[in-house]
Amino acid sequence: MAANEMIGIARQAKPPRQWLKWLTARLEVRMLLLAILIAVTLSFASPYFLTTINVLNLLDQSVVVGIVAIGMTFVILTGGIDLSVGAVAGLTGIIFGLVVPSLGLPVGALVAIVCGGLIGLVSGVLISYFGLAAFVVTLGMMSIGRSLCYIFSGGISISNIPETLSDFVYTKVAFIPMNVFVLLVLYLLAYLYLGYTKGGRTIYAIGSNAEAARTAGLNVVGYAILPYVVSGALSAVSALLLAGKILSVDPLAGNLLELDAIAAVVIGGASLFGGRGSIIGTLIGVFIMVMIRNGLNLMGVSPFWQGSAIGAIIIAAVLVERLVSRRGAR
Amino acid sequence: MFQCRAGGPARLSSEGKMQAVAAKETLFTASGVEKSFGRTRALADASITLRRGEIHALLGANGAGKSTLSRVICGQILPDAGDIAFRGKPFSIRRARDAIDAGISLVMQETSLAPDLSVVENIFLPELGRPGLTRFGEMRRKAEDILSRLGQRAQLPLDGDVRALSAAQRQLVEIAKALALESDLIIFDEPTASLSPGEVERLFDIMVKLRDEGRALAFVSHRLEEVFAVTDKVTVLREGRTVAADVATAKLTQTELIRHMVGRELSQIYMERAPSSHAEKPVVLEVENLKSAPLVRDVSFGLRRGEIVGLGGLVGAGRSETLETIFGLRRRDGGWVRLNGKPFAPRKPAQSIRAGIGFVPEDRRRQSIVPDLSVRENLLLAHLGAHRGFGLAYRQRDQKVRELLDMLGLPADRLLDASMLNFSGGMQQKIIIARWLMLDPAVILLDEPTKGVDIGTRSSIYAMLRAIADRGVAVLIVSSDFDELLGICERVVVISDGMSIADMPSAVLDEEKLTLLAAPRTSMERNVRFLRDLAATYRGAAFWGLIEDEKLFCLKVAVADDRASPGFGNGAAVDFSQTRIPAALAAAKSQFVAEAHGKLNTLIVDVAGSRGHAMGAAGLVLPCDIDPPDTARLAAAIQAHYAAHD
Repeated sequence: MAANEMIGIARQAKPPRQWLKWLTARLEVRMLLLAILIAVTLSFASPYFLTTINVLNLLDQSVVVGIVAIGMTFVILTGGIDLSVGAVAGLTGIIFGLVVPSLGLPVGALVAIVCGGLIGLVSGVLISYFGLAAFVVTLGMMSIGRSLCYIFSGGISISNIPETLSDFVYTKVAFIPMNVFVLLVLYLLAYLYLGYTKGGRTIYAIGSNAEAARTAGLNVVGYAILPYVVSGALSAVSALLLAGKILSVDPLAGNLLELDAIAAVVIGGASLFGGRGSIIGTLIGVFIMVMIRNGLNLMGVSPFWQGSAIGAIIIAAVLVERLVSRRGAR
Repeated sequence: MFQCRAGGPARLSSEGKMQAVAAKETLFTASGVEKSFGRTRALADASITLRRGEIHALLGANGAGKSTLSRVICGQILPDAGDIAFRGKPFSIRRARDAIDAGISLVMQETSLAPDLSVVENIFLPELGRPGLTRFGEMRRKAEDILSRLGQRAQLPLDGDVRALSAAQRQLVEIAKALALESDLIIFDEPTASLSPGEVERLFDIMVKLRDEGRALAFVSHRLEEVFAVTDKVTVLREGRTVAADVATAKLTQTELIRHMVGRELSQIYMERAPSSHAEKPVVLEVENLKSAPLVRDVSFGLRRGEIVGLGGLVGAGRSETLETIFGLRRRDGGWVRLNGKPFAPRKPAQSIRAGIGFVPEDRRRQSIVPDLSVRENLLLAHLGAHRGFGLAYRQRDQKVRELLDMLGLPADRLLDASMLNFSGGMQQKIIIARWLMLDPAVILLDEPTKGVDIGTRSSIYAMLRAIADRGVAVLIVSSDFDELLGICERVVVISDGMSIADMPSAVLDEEKLTLLAAPRTSMERNVRFLRDLAATYRGAAFWGLIEDEKLFCLKVAVADDRASPGFGNGAAVDFSQTRIPAALAAAKSQFVAEAHGKLNTLIVDVAGSRGHAMGAAGLVLPCDIDPPDTARLAAAIQAHYAAHD
């Protein structure tokens, strides 16, 4: 959806009314408006919300789910789903904790990311090559991953993560912490990949109409596997950033992360049937979720209510989107 | 051109008219119907009157509003304005259920079946919406009854899932579904689009039967010959308005109808065929004994540069599968394909595309259009498939995109349209063809290129194909519309039951001959057995063929005694003088004729199919020393055989 306009073509100058229409016709713009609306509302509800510290805090809280949501966007664009991201994040975190004393930081991080990618490769091959249902395969992977977390860790957290990782994560790059910088760079790369490469467009085409994509000679099997590899590897990246933040890895880390990631992608306007969605939308979806959590905390709402609030927002966002786009389509 | 298909039904409809003259009660009227979708005005001032005992044709070019009007009639769409009366009372349909309960049903163009339910369940799908228990045993019996009435009991596995059915079989389920409702008013929205000529005839039989039972039938079709074959009245829509209402079909000519539909005269929808001068051009694609289980069994033909060749045959004969095998979408189990003289064995489409083959599949929505990509990206999709590299390289093709847009007559800003689905079927098809032209292919394979495309756009697609061929591209077309096949192709390869059985220039063919050649193997086998028996019984030779203008076109010959050999073989098109029985062929009367050379005695009988349409001639050749049997009885027996099953 987004990428139709991304693809460069000589754009004629449009009269202002048309520009407005073009803007509101775009899902990301509508979602951005929603995000701004929520931010304004919350800043009225809590004077603390729009302070620099809290904004930095918001960004910091967006990192883990935000990075996982990139992989999830890739997967959902092909019409699949990846339920294993939370478990993969937990497992790769444990693997990192186990190998880092002997291998050191850079190699240990690489091992964790490669392990995440390999798990995704297995899921992807089972789903794309053998034609198994994505829901079932990744559900199985989730169960296996979480079980291995406990086996490898012996059921307890590992807290020998070198402090250099924490220093790295909170190094400032142009006034923003490294972990937020990594988040933004990854989003930029994902945006470019999905919009401007053969692989990215193939991912959209597979989700929209795989048979037409195959007939046109696109590598349907390969590019349906790739999103799972990306998703697994990025789960490991988010696990590393999380480990750097709290300086320990826990077998329960990343629990229910998949639900937050799927929610962010859906709020960001992607269709679970594939073919429709954008990486910018996902990023806005992540911010909306994190802002609501943070806002409710600031207002002193019981954490027990947060689940209900997030759930209601997901359903409302999808409902509004459905009503708006139906009106636009006719 | 259409005698073969039209002969039978025309006869039947005149009988029907006599019965129906007595009472033609008006069942349904709609007038001043308006309907807009957003800014698109689908119906502006449409009207139609349907009577019991009549088959009413609803005609119009694509986008004229035929489908919208038929969906208004059956309650699927609420009109913005207009008066509708059913059984003499004002009728307001608020939902589809109301129409079903009132006795109106629709046999749809795009199939509306539930793929995971069985055939029986689909036939009775509307019943499942009613309260109460479902009796599967009873449903099964009723379904069997309906399918036997359709003459298709053997065609459909009642308990099989609809998912596994072919397009033609699904259409049959649709028709059975409407019949199961025992509706008084049945709208057939292009029910013949994916039926073979034999199936179309059976459907027409049923439609005539339903009409004579006193039902009102509306028939939406692009195929004019079908309208003339089966309908009593015609209503023509143009741009959402009724431009000709309730005209008796018999009073119209094809040209008048086309003029009503397009608002201008279409002098000729097919392009002038260039004189066949391709014999010396190099062969680009050679197919030899191609096999791909289960549908492609033994297909051979060649395709020259700049030539348009048709693959003719019935639905399910293995034509589409032949294309898919050549293109690498289907596994090849045997035989060869040679491209530019070199063996060519693609395992996936990307290889064929890079080798210079393009493929336009039959089902646009399912196999060609990527709905979430823009028109531009859809146009560039095959480029992306052929492109090696990480990026898109769309800009390399900018020049070519502009050229193709000119050819399509599409303004450049429509390229940015977010979806191809807003275009008419004809424009969609042209964009898909252009997708392949983007790559300057050596060969382009097209499967039913004008399916669901109106007459006006069809002629521009034909012109486009002609222009492609003139540029040296070899074009291979599969079409179920024999008239179209003969109109645009220079040569037709006939496929029957997975085997190529004839390869001849269009000039020596017509629809009748094609229909005969394409007859499925089962009936062919019966005929072969019959001819063989005939030859053996009388110790001579028997043949079946078409006789026309000093030419014999032999479909099948069986020789029991070499002395009686008529001097031609299967699939031969020969002048009388080239055979051993010129006198008998020239006389062609139902009695034995002796040849001048005094060696052979030949009986030739004209034969006709079960609906009375001509099936050519059957002959028995005997050596002169054998006494001819009882001519009259023998002739009657031969005719009875052909009339029994066609």
